[in-house]
Amino acid sequence: MRFIKSILPYLGAVVIAFVVAGIFIALMGYDPLEAYATIFGTSFKTPYAFVQTILKWIPLTLLALAFTIPYATGKFNIGGEGQMIAGAIGAAAVGILLSDMPIYILLPLEIVAGILAGALWGLVPAYLLYQFRINEILTTVLFNFIAFNLIDYVATGPWRDPTAGHPTTVAVGEGGFLPNLLSTQPINAGFLITIAVAIGIYIYTNRTVGGFELIATGANPKASHVHGINTRFLSVFSLVLGAALAGLAGAIEVAGTHHRLIEGLQSNFMQLGLIIGLIAGGNSLAVPFIAFFIAVLEVGARAMQRTMQIPVEMVFIVEALLLIFILLSNVVRRRK
Amino acid sequence: MVKQHVLEMKGINKQFASIVALKEVNFELYPGEICGLLGGNGAGKTTLMNILYGLYRQDTGKIFLEGKPVSIQSPKDSLSLGIGMVHQHFLQISNYSVIENIILGANVKHPYSSNLTPEKQQIDALCKRFSLDINPDAIISSLPVGTRQKVEILKALFRGIKILILDEPTTSLTPQEVDSLFKSLEVMVKEGLSIVFITHKLREVLSVCDRISVLRDGRNVISLDRKSAAEEELVKAMVGENLDVSKSIIFSKGKYQTVDPKYEKAPIFKVNDLSYTNADKVQVLKKLSFDLYENEVLGVAGVAGNGQHELVETLMHVQQLSNGKIYFLGEDITRVPTEAIWKKGLVYIPEDRLDDGFLPKSNVAQNLILGFHKSPSYSSKGFINWKSVYSKTREMIKEYNIKTSGPNEVGSNLSGGNIQRVMIARIFSQHTRMLIIHNPTRGLDIPSTDFVYRKILEKKKEGISTLLVTEDLDELILICDRIVIIYKGELVGVLDRNEFEKYRIGRLMSGFKDTSLAKKRGTI
Repeated sequence: MRFIKSILPYLGAVVIAFVVAGIFIALMGYDPLEAYATIFGTSFKTPYAFVQTILKWIPLTLLALAFTIPYATGKFNIGGEGQMIAGAIGAAAVGILLSDMPIYILLPLEIVAGILAGALWGLVPAYLLYQFRINEILTTVLFNFIAFNLIDYVATGPWRDPTAGHPTTVAVGEGGFLPNLLSTQPINAGFLITIAVAIGIYIYTNRTVGGFELIATGANPKASHVHGINTRFLSVFSLVLGAALAGLAGAIEVAGTHHRLIEGLQSNFMQLGLIIGLIAGGNSLAVPFIAFFIAVLEVGARAMQRTMQIPVEMVFIVEALLLIFILLSNVVRRRK
Repeated sequence: MVKQHVLEMKGINKQFASIVALKEVNFELYPGEICGLLGGNGAGKTTLMNILYGLYRQDTGKIFLEGKPVSIQSPKDSLSLGIGMVHQHFLQISNYSVIENIILGANVKHPYSSNLTPEKQQIDALCKRFSLDINPDAIISSLPVGTRQKVEILKALFRGIKILILDEPTTSLTPQEVDSLFKSLEVMVKEGLSIVFITHKLREVLSVCDRISVLRDGRNVISLDRKSAAEEELVKAMVGENLDVSKSIIFSKGKYQTVDPKYEKAPIFKVNDLSYTNADKVQVLKKLSFDLYENEVLGVAGVAGNGQHELVETLMHVQQLSNGKIYFLGEDITRVPTEAIWKKGLVYIPEDRLDDGFLPKSNVAQNLILGFHKSPSYSSKGFINWKSVYSKTREMIKEYNIKTSGPNEVGSNLSGGNIQRVMIARIFSQHTRMLIIHNPTRGLDIPSTDFVYRKILEKKKEGISTLLVTEDLDELILICDRIVIIYKGELVGVLDRNEFEKYRIGRLMSGFKDTSLAKKRGTI
């Protein structure tokens, strides 16, 4: 009962967001009900669409966690995009350089390389924060731009696949492919890794001493410091941990989905991850569920564009409205 | 002839959310009197007077001024009706001069120039009339607290008030300053003002008030003339049935069972030449040295802002000390991080509970374990055992009388007094070696204050020492074995229990060094 009561304002905000977006769709001359039926229905109509939804869910969940973990300590990681690219580059580099290795060596190495590269991409801003107190929002954003140029260089450089029309590297070794879970559908083991990570993060933040300190730091850094918590270290650690998860997302994209490094594989996962993280209010348990909802929207939006010619950007409007109304509902609840 | 009330408040009710702050409260004030409004924290004294001053509005009830009903919507209304209030926290701009602070927001003769001569003359005249010794050109930040308070009073007088409300005016004054304030009040009353004096200190109302009105839990208890007031009757009226006065520490006048500190043994805590320079390059602490012995409660007296906050923070290593050494149980802990200090059993209740002591977004249980979350009673092998945390915090909520719906309630729902109880429960329910406590009873009602004293003395009996930093002299005199006095970051005196004397401590608090004490234990 208390759970239902606590999510009721969220449901209200979701309904209002869709009503308002429906007005826009109607004004554009389309049928909003049909549009929504497409958006919500597509993911569950065919196994293929459902698998596509899951494949979107994986990076969305990981990038949302990359935002919420530092957010718990009061730090903002806006560099998920760059960290994901760094992770993808790290994984691809290992996968290409050691392409002859068997799967039980290459695959773990590839994943670990992705995690480490992502973490490294977060470590620099984190170190600048720790040592010089340079604002992490600024540095993490700036590191995105470095990553954009880096991926451009790698994908057009010596590892370039000359047969591809788009900046892309050659494939990683076969031993670096994440195994498929089903013979009929392209769903890879990244799904299981993500579930394990989400559970692990939940346990870490809610059950462990370290997680308690993390949350306490976010709740009141001064009080936490006074009570013997190393808050400076924790905020840095949380940034690096978040970045490592973004790196993992990059590695899964390479090892699972594309089997190679493709420029633009980061899509707009970070912006969506940020929205998911903010909607979840930093609650890591809620992240996978909200991420699934957003993944459904994303897949449905493409279908809507194909079948109804409604621009896919409509879904961005819906997502933006969702965020605005949910943040508003938080304000309204606090006023009461 | 029956005297006419200058002010009458009738049947005042006020409710904040679900909390009844005032219920059917009546209050009268006669011309030319000082009326003491007495009660513990949370009794509703300040709320009642904030309604009169227009900061809050009553839910129901009427206010009469000289017999006529008035409606007060804001402090502007009350000032135009001749009612002024001096709050516990002064509303002053510290780098402005006295005169600039006084005229701020008032009408001046030459609004488009900085010619303040007419106002200055007016202020001089007021100072003379009410025998207030204030230089109008002095900069506020250069003045001691007692004078700043008089500036606040002068500010009200300048606006031509007839009724002056003083909210806990003696809180941060030395005994000498209190005497001087009382003298000024008597002059003002002779000049025709009527004064409401809000306080929780019995002795003050008995020494300065003509009439005393007692509030408890937002209700009138008694109202009587000073002449017919017996101290015992007032105590009972203040505390009600919640506290057995005969067994209390507060009203024991220092006659409670206790143990002597072990001065013959080596001190358990030792501070040598502690200095601290803050980020603005101001030396806030200057070569402080003192010792703390087993079973001892050592008080640190001083007017607020003389380095107390920095002292406790450097001792806990929240701030990095600049120079000096700290020893705890024979070990040098000068460079040990805060975490390790807690682990050694040296624990701390900060003064600023909201900023330094509390996690508003976390729940009550999480708040209760903060600082001890690594102790084996709450966690093992890096995992917090929430089941035992919840059962233990439930016990703490009961024992420490924390008013909450349970360990799951969000901290920000708790009232100030309850937050303080959480911080006290957090420290006192754990196994520790020494306590550093800063202003522990500020904002607590009388039974809770008594409870804190009892806990400190219980710990003392167990051999656990306390460094008690507080601005409340009565508190220090009541429960300390020794008191060191801090003035502008320097220790200016050390007194043994048999030397405790209010005025002597007051002199030291204003910076007069007591050289005869220099050779004693805990040398200066």
